[in-house]
Amino acid sequence: MKNVQNVSPCLMAIAVSAGLATPAAAEGSLSLYNWGDYISPDVIDKFGKEFNVAVTLDTYSTNEEMLARIQAGATGYDLIWPSVHMHDTMQKLGLLQETGVNKMPGFENIDPGALRSKEDPAADYCLPYAWGAVGILYNKTAIPELTSWQQFFDYGAANPGKIAMLDDLRETLGVGLIMTGASVNSANPDEIAKAEEFILAQKPNIGAFAYDVIPLVTSGDMAAAHYYVGAVLNVNQNPDLLGFVVPQEGATMYQEDICLLASAPNRDNALKFLEFMMRPDVSAMNTERLTNGSVNLKAIELLPVELKNNPSINPPPETRAKLQIFEDLGKALRVYTRAWDRVKTN
Amino acid sequence: MAETGATASRNRRTLILLLAPLTILLGVFFLIPLGIMVVYSFLEPGLYGGVEWNWYPYNYGRLIGWPLNDYEVFDPIYLKIFLNSLQIALMTVAGTLLLSYPAAFWVASMKGPRKSLVLFLVALPFFANMLVRIYAWLLLLRPTGFLSTLLESTGLIIEPLDLLFTNFSVIVGMVYVLTPFMFLPIYANVEKLDYSLVRASRDLGATNVQTLWRIILPLTAPGIIGGSVIVFIPALGNFIVPSLLGGSKVQMTGNLIERSFLQSRDWPFGAALALLIMAFVVVLFSLQFSRQSKSEGQGTR
Repeated sequence: MKNVQNVSPCLMAIAVSAGLATPAAAEGSLSLYNWGDYISPDVIDKFGKEFNVAVTLDTYSTNEEMLARIQAGATGYDLIWPSVHMHDTMQKLGLLQETGVNKMPGFENIDPGALRSKEDPAADYCLPYAWGAVGILYNKTAIPELTSWQQFFDYGAANPGKIAMLDDLRETLGVGLIMTGASVNSANPDEIAKAEEFILAQKPNIGAFAYDVIPLVTSGDMAAAHYYVGAVLNVNQNPDLLGFVVPQEGATMYQEDICLLASAPNRDNALKFLEFMMRPDVSAMNTERLTNGSVNLKAIELLPVELKNNPSINPPPETRAKLQIFEDLGKALRVYTRAWDRVKTN
Repeated sequence: MAETGATASRNRRTLILLLAPLTILLGVFFLIPLGIMVVYSFLEPGLYGGVEWNWYPYNYGRLIGWPLNDYEVFDPIYLKIFLNSLQIALMTVAGTLLLSYPAAFWVASMKGPRKSLVLFLVALPFFANMLVRIYAWLLLLRPTGFLSTLLESTGLIIEPLDLLFTNFSVIVGMVYVLTPFMFLPIYANVEKLDYSLVRASRDLGATNVQTLWRIILPLTAPGIIGGSVIVFIPALGNFIVPSLLGGSKVQMTGNLIERSFLQSRDWPFGAALALLIMAFVVVLFSLQFSRQSKSEGQGTR
């Protein structure tokens, strides 16, 4: 009995102080759920200070992981960063809500070509965020200049085990599809079988299917690796040693959009954040950190020269024309899964 | 009489109370998820993860390579992956056994603080995260890594040695991670070994090989079998070592399960694969238990 009497005033004190403290600290809160290392911490800080909002950031490493958590009922998140095909999927599943971002000031800065979603062609729901090509990171001591997939695979044939590809079924079978002249979104089993055959023929020369290849290419243990354009950050730190190229034959590209979850608890702050992200100075500050392609035409003008003129980050139109973006495959994904299982096993 | 009856029922009530948390824990966090997995493994995969509530035994058909549509042919790749996993798991058991068996005798012969220190060193790796320790092997095994550079500087090899991303590097990593699990049961057994039996065998004219084969091995068999089972099970389901040290070119069933739930969004197939591994493990365990109870029965006779 004594204990209980002692505890209750304590609880009351906590309740009172919590009630008083919250409004003094921040106007409200905003909860972001993004890829790891995919937003500049300075941008988050700036937003938090300017709007007096406490921002929290949680991260994921694949679209599927994020979808699985949201489907399993994870709540409390406001904004998420799905790739375009996942944006389509989530909108179809009713997991997103409209934002009217296309009527906000600043939307005129957004490249109309970046409105890639099929479900959301006018951006009633989501704001295009950033994009990038998936090309080849290479070590210049091993290969002075790399320009094409063919050269990449030829080098592998002459030096087995010195090239790496991503451990991702769509990316790596996608290279097979590009090399056999098909669309990376093909649902045709014969075309997928040809792509499978192509990658399988290269498999003895491929050292690894892996994501953590930057240290291996830097040390020279690998000569070249299939990798995302974000590696340009490492290339710029070490331009004599490393190179990154979007291959001549074409490549895949990705783009993420910022979307508002249907279950978002802080809609108002989320809308403020979308408007904030469209400001050219904020967008440019973010791109400097990401070394990804920007979708904000005004922000591109503000970028430092080494990013603005980098053909991998800001590709010329003829390269852009050869980039393909992944679409939601629906049931055809199962054909890819089987092909990939065979590539990995045989 | 009445009082003892009351004590007995009170004891029983206490026992039920004491066991309740464990029972509830196992029921909620083991049996229910297991039941969900069994049910899911017979349902059709949902387009975006999850399941459609349709009867779909094809998940198990796919395991044995049954074709789904016209353009597929019979191709038992999943059995191939399972056999490859079995092979790697068995080689891991052999590797940990070769390291642990002599080491157990060596440690058992030590005395006092030195022995405690060695036992502490065996348990030491558990204090560091497994991912970090596997990354360290990546640095050791790569061509510009420690091992290759060392061998080159001694002139034993001329070309840099490429050990990484092979079956060999996967087995090295697995043996490294799982050796303590083999060592501890064997050590517990070896420590109790009655050396008077070994001396008696020598006195009766047995050679060293005969003593090892007829006396020492049978007496330490429970430790060997126990350690083998404890190493075999996690080795069979491991997916981190093959994806990091095998460069994902070495496939194990664990990798396949992980991919089914994430990249391929095929939960029922992942569930079917997981149940296959589990069935295998249950069979192994029941074999070991029946063996153990048989040998205990012989002991009392």
